[in-house]
Amino acid sequence: MRGVRLLPLCAAALLALVVTAAARADEPAPPPVPLTSADLKAIPVPSTDDLAKGDPAGTLTGNAGDIVVADTKAGLTFGDVVSQVGQNRIAINFVWTLVTGYLVMFMQAGFALVETGLCRAKNANHTMMMNFMVYGFGMFAYWVMGFALQQGGSAGIANLGGMQSLNNEFKLTLFGKDWGLFGTKGFFLSGSTYDVGVMVLFLFQMVFMDTAATIVTGAAAERWKFAAFAVSSMCLAAIWYPLYGNWAWGGGWLSQLGANFKLGHGYCDFAGSGVVHAVGGLSALATSLLIGPRIGKYTKDGRPNAMPGHDIVLVLCGCFILAFGWFGFNPGSTLGASGAGNLRIGSIAVNTMLAGATGSFGAILYMWMRYGKPDASMSGNGLLAGLVAITAPSGFVNPVGSVILGFVAGVLVCLSVEFVERVLKVDDPVGAISVHGTCGLWGVLSVGLFADGTSNYGGSWNGVDGSVTGLFYGDPGQFVAQLVGCCTLVGVIFTLAYVFNWAIDVLIGQRVSADAELEGLDLPEMGALGYPEFQLVTPGLGRSVEIGG
Amino acid sequence: MRLFALALLVGGWLVAVGGLVASDELATRLITCLAGFAASLAGVGVLTAVHNEHAIWKRGGALS
Repeated sequence: MRGVRLLPLCAAALLALVVTAAARADEPAPPPVPLTSADLKAIPVPSTDDLAKGDPAGTLTGNAGDIVVADTKAGLTFGDVVSQVGQNRIAINFVWTLVTGYLVMFMQAGFALVETGLCRAKNANHTMMMNFMVYGFGMFAYWVMGFALQQGGSAGIANLGGMQSLNNEFKLTLFGKDWGLFGTKGFFLSGSTYDVGVMVLFLFQMVFMDTAATIVTGAAAERWKFAAFAVSSMCLAAIWYPLYGNWAWGGGWLSQLGANFKLGHGYCDFAGSGVVHAVGGLSALATSLLIGPRIGKYTKDGRPNAMPGHDIVLVLCGCFILAFGWFGFNPGSTLGASGAGNLRIGSIAVNTMLAGATGSFGAILYMWMRYGKPDASMSGNGLLAGLVAITAPSGFVNPVGSVILGFVAGVLVCLSVEFVERVLKVDDPVGAISVHGTCGLWGVLSVGLFADGTSNYGGSWNGVDGSVTGLFYGDPGQFVAQLVGCCTLVGVIFTLAYVFNWAIDVLIGQRVSADAELEGLDLPEMGALGYPEFQLVTPGLGRSVEIGG
Repeated sequence: MRLFALALLVGGWLVAVGGLVASDELATRLITCLAGFAASLAGVGVLTAVHNEHAIWKRGGALS
């Protein structure tokens, strides 16, 4: 009986609970309690005694006590926390850009080994010295004026803090459009461009320029007068490289083809297939044309003779160093790892390694099928060709696109080497014109074909909203923009390189004497042999140089 | 011939850029760009021919 009486009571209590819960669910959530600076001050911080015991697990090091406070009397405030977050983002980007720049600088060693290995032993010192000194000559000219012409009007690079002091671009207004031609701030890195962000950008851009400059030394090796090389390299670093760099990267007219002429996102060259490699490769072509082929390269009826390099071990080691440095070249071109879509660095690095591998694969396959043997030096050049080709599109394409365009580059470099040697009859001891010139142009065009429209670097590129998209993914305008870039490289940059090098030829002479060339440039030009304990014999010429006896 | 080659090189670029200004049609721009690119490449070809006219290997003897 008692249980029967309790039953209605329990039911009533349950009903009351359900009604109350339902009523509470309808009530608006209580407003969040705002955090105050007092809450920040209440965050526990390890004592100095705790820290003095050591922190082997790493759980105490790095805490609220490490945040820099603006006013030590006031203690930690929200302003301090927010400022620290902003500075951390820029700090991450600074470190990323600097470290990747250091990797690119190390590529100079790779170029030196590749070029020296592909030359004959009697020119080893000379070839090595050109690769060594192009770093200093190029850097000096770039510091004096190259950087200012290239980046002097490129203010607004948010990844590195804005760099608002680089705020003056010389422009012409033609047909109702602005045509940015060159920057005018940053000469000698002086005045308002004495700025932490500008310094980071300078270092990164300088090593890129030096990569372009060192390409020429390979194509003109074994007959280039050292003094002419020095002047030519400084002109490249000061004039035609920065001009094209400005048009593509410094806010110049090519980058504005999207905003001004509705051609996709304007000319897009993520890490420099055009700016670095095609400029270097076309300058190499201009220089090689002017200097002429090495003695013995062609018979009297124009057939090419093989002039193999002296050390394939150097060549392939150099290629590996270059492939390693490319992980700075391409992923580093985001100019940051934090914010604005920069986490795509992983994808960029993978694209880079894939294209290099398939480039090598394409070249070895071509050589094996055509000549019956896998050719070591062309395998190396195939690797470089794939890497050159992926440089412009690396930030915009997917792995499948990378594999395809890398493989095409590997085959293309073999065809181009044959064309340059047999049809143009231009002597290029290392294949630099084909690797960097031909495959650089291919890389530029491949952005307009393979960009898949998934990248998002802060929501826009070159002032055009949305993602860079190529012809195969629906934007034919992007391909036309890339084609305009190629026309500019061949029509303007090659011409400038040719005219300046022609002037150098007239003024100081570009080519060494025939005697010096036959003897090898090490003694006549540098005063010391690369391999003084060896007896060097030039096959076919019946000449030898014996040293150290 | 050297000047002609240089004129072809720069003229090709001018054709490509001129096409952008002259028309809003993408097909027209593509055609002018391709024509300009071909002209510039022809300029490179002419220039190499100019240099090969007096190439060192044509002199014979020890130089070839």
